[in-house]
Amino acid sequence: MTLLQSLKNLVRSKSIHVAYVDVGSCNGCDIEVLACLAPRYDIEQYGIFVHNNPREADVLLVIGAYTPGWEEKLEGLWEKIPDPKVAIAIGNCPISGCLFARPHTLVDPPVAKHIPIAAQVPGCPPRPTEILSAILSVAPTVFKDYEVRK
Amino acid sequence: MPLSLVYYAKEFFRGEWARKFLAAKTAPLEIPPYFRNYPELTGKTCTHHLFCMMACPAPGAIDVIRTPEGWMPRIHIGHCIRCGLCVEACPNGVLSSGRILESIFYDNTRLSFSFRIDVDQTKCMGCGNCAVACPVNKLIDAQMSHGGRASTDDLLLKVREGKCQVLHVEKCTGCKTCEHHCPNEAIRVARLLEAVHAPEEDP
Repeated sequence: MTLLQSLKNLVRSKSIHVAYVDVGSCNGCDIEVLACLAPRYDIEQYGIFVHNNPREADVLLVIGAYTPGWEEKLEGLWEKIPDPKVAIAIGNCPISGCLFARPHTLVDPPVAKHIPIAAQVPGCPPRPTEILSAILSVAPTVFKDYEVRK
Repeated sequence: MPLSLVYYAKEFFRGEWARKFLAAKTAPLEIPPYFRNYPELTGKTCTHHLFCMMACPAPGAIDVIRTPEGWMPRIHIGHCIRCGLCVEACPNGVLSSGRILESIFYDNTRLSFSFRIDVDQTKCMGCGNCAVACPVNKLIDAQMSHGGRASTDDLLLKVREGKCQVLHVEKCTGCKTCEHHCPNEAIRVARLLEAVHAPEEDP
């Protein structure tokens, strides 16, 4: 990897574009993601931009316990995201199904069965701080040796 | 044109600009001490009453395992919803989370469990499986015979005149062993959890 490539990757890792998708949660984790955007946590000062378009996203935040309506749609959405990309599971639901993982329910957790998950943020819901530090900790690895891989 | 390039260069090669570009302004906020985080062990001895597991609303979030040092509750991160009910329900203060232990001490509140056993007399066929399987009965009368008949009346459950009878419901520990051993689903154990303020001290 040349110096120019590593410089480009460094600059890329300082501007992370985030899309979030709710695959059937109770809306609690969505509110915590929304709180990251508010002045108290201010996600944009870290160079993280949330605009909900998978075509220009680097990081996909997956929220929710994967209801049947999302079959094939979540995989399609994951394919729409250009490389390099990672997915982060936000909350207990995409990890274990949490309260919804009971007999005779229709949810199909974990989300890692359907798309590759790079990081998991447990909690019901997780604190905005935890979401923020998870995004910041995966950010350097997303673009690491990206140009070499390509 | 050359002048504007100079102007741009001057603007973008300032040390402050580069520092702001490369380093974030503030570190992520710290978790405050009063936050109810995942319960942690305080080091007190667990007496295996399993009230934490009974109070837990999330499936598979807590279990009590046997270690060489004794019984030990274990929290499963990814299942736990950090509600703190296990911390409040524990009679020994084995777990702690945030300021729950301090606040229940100052407010003098407690979660208390009581149990009710219902025997459906039309379904019960008096087999005595419940009375034989009951761990409380085993402690009182280890000699209890097959069929659930015994001479003493100190028992929790006993078969009398072909039907199961509940004698001392206050001895129940809510383990539901009887429920699992009943072939007819005739016996049901209800666990009643209630928050008590200023509980009277046991004499």
